[in-house]
Amino acid sequence: MDYAFAELIEGAAMPETVVEVRNLKKHYPPNVKAVDDISFEIGAGTIFSMLGPNGAGKTTTVEILEGLRHPTSGKATVLGTDIFDDYSKIRKRVGTLPQNFEPFDLLKPWEAITYWANLYDIKITRKEVDELIESVNLTDRKNLMSKKLSGGEKRKLGIALSLVNNPELLFLDEPTTGLDPKARRDLWNLINIIRDRGTTIFLTTHYLDEAEKLSDDVAIMHKGKIIARGSPDELVDKHGKSTMIVLEGSGKAGLAKLRQMNIEASLDELDGGNVLVPVKRHSEMRGMIARIASSDIAMDDIYTRRETLEDVFLNLIGSKMEDGVLKE
Amino acid sequence: MSRLTSDIINYGKQYLRSKIGMFFAVIFPILLILVFGAIFMGGGDSKITVHVQNLDAGPFGDMFVENMTKAGSFTIVDIPANENITEYIKNKSLTVAVVVPANFSADIVAHMTDPANATGNVSVIVYGDPSKTTYNVVLGASGAITNAMNFGLAHAQPILGVEARQIAQTQKFNYMDFYLPGIIGMTVMTNALFAMTSICAEYRQRTYFKLLATTNLKKWEWLVSKFIFYAALLSLSLVLTYLVGRMAFNMQSVLTPMAFVLIAAGAFTFTSMGMLLGVFIKDPEGAAAVANAVGFPMMFLSGSFFPLEVMPSYLQAIAGALPLTYLNNGLRDTMVYFNDTSALVNLAVVFACGLIFFVLASKFMSWKEK
Repeated sequence: MDYAFAELIEGAAMPETVVEVRNLKKHYPPNVKAVDDISFEIGAGTIFSMLGPNGAGKTTTVEILEGLRHPTSGKATVLGTDIFDDYSKIRKRVGTLPQNFEPFDLLKPWEAITYWANLYDIKITRKEVDELIESVNLTDRKNLMSKKLSGGEKRKLGIALSLVNNPELLFLDEPTTGLDPKARRDLWNLINIIRDRGTTIFLTTHYLDEAEKLSDDVAIMHKGKIIARGSPDELVDKHGKSTMIVLEGSGKAGLAKLRQMNIEASLDELDGGNVLVPVKRHSEMRGMIARIASSDIAMDDIYTRRETLEDVFLNLIGSKMEDGVLKE
Repeated sequence: MSRLTSDIINYGKQYLRSKIGMFFAVIFPILLILVFGAIFMGGGDSKITVHVQNLDAGPFGDMFVENMTKAGSFTIVDIPANENITEYIKNKSLTVAVVVPANFSADIVAHMTDPANATGNVSVIVYGDPSKTTYNVVLGASGAITNAMNFGLAHAQPILGVEARQIAQTQKFNYMDFYLPGIIGMTVMTNALFAMTSICAEYRQRTYFKLLATTNLKKWEWLVSKFIFYAALLSLSLVLTYLVGRMAFNMQSVLTPMAFVLIAAGAFTFTSMGMLLGVFIKDPEGAAAVANAVGFPMMFLSGSFFPLEVMPSYLQAIAGALPLTYLNNGLRDTMVYFNDTSALVNLAVVFACGLIFFVLASKFMSWKEK
């Protein structure tokens, strides 16, 4: 087995659409709609992020697609196979990192990987184990008991376990929750490398910056429903406000002068000393900046500000999200 | 390497690296054998201290006290004649004390010389707490001594007597030979049952069951691997405990092949029982509570420490429904009485219980979510 590049299982063609979900529902009595009639598809070789607050239905959706939960109704195919028919057909082609993963405390990373390979009926050599450990940057930690690994290293080990069967599709359920910023960035790099090798990744997260930086495709989930879908840029374009030119420190005097020039502008709600000039089309940006620069409006600085997924989330949900919790 | 073998090896590695696991599987039963052996067979001065107040001025009071001393089981402490006996007992928190009343000798002489006018029996008085073993031992000894004195005074020879013999007559068994099977049975039950309930809770809380469900490992393979591991571990524990007992206390019971079969059946039954209980357990605290609630009553009611015969009939009925009772009985049958036929019956009961637990656990234990 070559862990340097993901290879297709012999004889099985990689479908263009790796995951296809139609009208999926998961209801719990008496009236909880954990997943409420969602439909989506994931293209091969992409990072698809399901973004939403805690309780949005992300993990329930993932676990249904991993074959770990039964849905109330709906259809889903993974790697071209109806998952409610016989998941064992695709078990070896799918990797899984569950939410809040903790490794076996009293196994060393190389032992855990060998053990996991055996559970998949995969014969793995010590060299292949070392390569897999190297691929998640744990080489110098491979002989430590797993309980002595840091939080980030434990997640890396979890990812190594999920890669032991060289999967075509990898489910990562909130892989960076609870990690410090450096460990998160390390994992982001690792996830990008795995995607670059050709593995399709289904990521759930409540970190907006994580979804924005990693994803090719984002579905924002809220109360069991997908309320927005697209690439981060598409979501910002569709659900965000215009890109702004910010005139730092211009204040009310600057605002008045802009209006005399018939330029639409407003004071920044967050910082009343700044003036915001919306630019609807990107092609108009250069001309607008030139007009403002040619005026005698006083300012400390001038720059552009593009909306982010965080702004999109706020616009769509009406609340900010911190650590997966909605803030009023 | 097969899934089953790999699961046994990697579970075993984790277990053996966990110091607490090895303590309860290997060290604890050896400690129990040594401690109980020291208590019941350790030799040394194990006499019962008896406080005696001799208020009699004549020879028979002294004769009674002298006979108690000669009995060899008692250390006699004199209570001064001016002490109020009930206050004395209370102040010293005694469980037993003996009083030879004043005029004890004079009353005996009166009975011998003028029986027509003598009233009532002449008695020594044994004060104490009937719930305490020492009281009953002193009461029995006092009765035997006064009885012997009666024969002496009547110039009569006793005809009836009691001869003590061991049940198993082919070997010279001691108390620890009868106790060892109970310790082994208890060790099998506690290790397999407590570990499995704890593992089920840990695996559920740490999402290991979900992870395992994504592999090719089957539930029955996982359970069988635990059974095989515990059967091997507990067989090792049995051998070590037996060797220590034999060296320290010269035990004569024998490690028979049937004993190992019973250990395997016990491991099967209690790992399956632990997994079945694990169906209802959501967290480690719950696991400890459930394992204790089931394991401890079973430990005490199944004859591991106390003979079933001394229990009230309703407790004996409960004991009859516990698989550990049959494991203990089977181990005693084969190791002490060399009765493998009877052991086979107990083995069948243990295995049948295990089979029921195994089927139910496999059916109801789910690694997936609803």
